[in-house]
Amino acid sequence: MQRIRAWFEDFGNMIFFAGEALAWMFRPPFRPELVIIQMAAIGVGSTFIITTTGFFTGVVLALQTNYAMHQLGAEGYVGGTVAVGLARELGPVLTALFLVGRSGSAISTELGTMRVTEQIDAMETMAVSPVQYLVVPRLLAALAMFPLLTMLFNFVGYLGAYIIGIVVAEIPAGPFIEHTRTLLEPKDIMHGLFKAVIFGGVVALVTCWRGFAATGGAKGVGEGTTRAVVTSSIAILVVDTAFVLITVGSGK
Amino acid sequence: MIRVVDLWKSFGTHDVLKGISIDVPTGTTYVILGGSGSGKTVLMKHVIGLLKPDRGTVLVGDVDIPKLEGKELTEARRMFGMVFQQSALFDSMTVFENVAFPLRERKRGIPAAELKERVIEKLRVVDLSESVLPLYPSELSGGMKKRVALARALIHDPQVVLYDEPTTGLDPITTDYVDDMIVQAKQKLGVTSMVISHDIASSFKVADRLGVLYDGQLAAQGTPEEVRRSDHPHVKKFLALWFEKQ
Repeated sequence: MQRIRAWFEDFGNMIFFAGEALAWMFRPPFRPELVIIQMAAIGVGSTFIITTTGFFTGVVLALQTNYAMHQLGAEGYVGGTVAVGLARELGPVLTALFLVGRSGSAISTELGTMRVTEQIDAMETMAVSPVQYLVVPRLLAALAMFPLLTMLFNFVGYLGAYIIGIVVAEIPAGPFIEHTRTLLEPKDIMHGLFKAVIFGGVVALVTCWRGFAATGGAKGVGEGTTRAVVTSSIAILVVDTAFVLITVGSGK
Repeated sequence: MIRVVDLWKSFGTHDVLKGISIDVPTGTTYVILGGSGSGKTVLMKHVIGLLKPDRGTVLVGDVDIPKLEGKELTEARRMFGMVFQQSALFDSMTVFENVAFPLRERKRGIPAAELKERVIEKLRVVDLSESVLPLYPSELSGGMKKRVALARALIHDPQVVLYDEPTTGLDPITTDYVDDMIVQAKQKLGVTSMVISHDIASSFKVADRLGVLYDGQLAAQGTPEEVRRSDHPHVKKFLALWFEKQ
C-alpha cells in the first residue's frame, strides 16, 4: 500500500515538474545558445547510432518482408511495405528508444550528479531557475531533434531496404519505388513525425525529472538513471499504443 | 541585518527547529555550531527562503523572507551569496564561467570586458590569480575550489554571505586558509556572514558571535568567550572535545 502511495506521489511530482517546465518555456530570459548546445548533444551526437541502427533495421525488415511477399508472389511491394512500417511505427519508436539509451541516460546522469553535488541548489540560490536553465533547453532540443533523427532513421532504413531489395532479392527498381509511391502517403510520414515530437517531450521530461529527483550519492544517481531509462522506454510504448488505438480507430 | 525570530519547523512528527531566535548585526559573522542532525542546514535554508517555517520568521534587512513567493523571492535572493559544503561549482564550466555566472544571469548583456574585470577583482579578494580562469573545477584542489566558490558568491556584491560547512573535509592548513578567507571577506567587503559548522576551532576563529544548536534549540549563544563559559551540559561536553585537546 505504501509503495503504491509513493508511486502516485512520485508521479504527481513528475506531472507538476512537467507543468513547471512547460510554463518556463514561454518566460524570458530565453537562452537559444543553450538550446543549440543541447541540440548538438542530443542530435548531432546521435547521428552515428541512428544511421547504423536505421540501416540495419531497414535491411532486416526488407529481408523479412521479402520472405513473406515471396510466398505470395508480391515481391514488388517490399519497398512500400517497409516504407510505411518505418514511417508510421518503427522509425519514431526505435529512434526514441535508441535516444533514451544514448541521450536520455546522459541527461539523467548529468542532472543527477548536479543535484547530489548541490550544483542545482547553488543555481537556485543565485536567483536562476534550474528548471528554466537546465530543463527547458533539453526539452526544446528533444522536441526538435527527435523528429529530425526519425527522418534520418527512416531515410537510411529505406536505403538499406532498397539495397537488399534490388541487390539481394533482385526486385526490379521500378516496381520497388512505384509501390512505395502508391503505399506511402504524406500522412504516414506526418503521423510518425508527430509521434516523434511527443516521444521527445516525454523522454526529456522523464529523464530530467529523474535527474532532479536523485538523492544520495553515486548510487542514487545510478538508480535515477536506471529508472529514467525504464520509465521513458515504457512511456514511449504506452504512448505509441494509445496513438495507434486512436488513429487506427479513426482511420488516420 | 539578519533577524531570526522564534523559528519553528517540523518534518512529519519530528521537530527540527524549536523556537530559534538570532540577531546578526550588519558586517558581523555569526556561526551556528552543532553536530550532525542538529538542524543547522534547515535553519540556513530558512534564511535564504528554500524552506518555509511552521511558525516565526526570518528578516533580512527589512525583507520578511518567508512571506515571499516566486519573483519576489528570486529578487530577494540577490542579497545573498552562498558557499556550499562541496563548493558546488558547475563542473561543466571553467573558473571564469563559474564566477561570472551569477552576474551574467542578473545583468544579461553586461560587456565582456567589464565582466572579466569583475571576475578578476573577486578572484584577487580570495588570493587567486588570472591563471586559474581557464581551469575546470576538476583541475582545482579542495582549497582552491572553496576560494572560487567564495569568489562566485561575492561577484554580485551581496549584502549577506552564507557558508555551509566551509571547512568540512579539508586538511588543517587549508582549513586555516579558508578561515582567513572568511575573515578577510568580512573585513575587505564588509559583508554580513552566517556560517554553519561543526568545526569548533574554525567557528571560534571566524565568529563575532556564535550559537550552539542542540536538539532544535540554541543551547548557548553569545561571543565566543561567552559560549565557552556556558554551563549548558551539552555545550560543555561538545566544546570539551576540542578544548581538552589544546
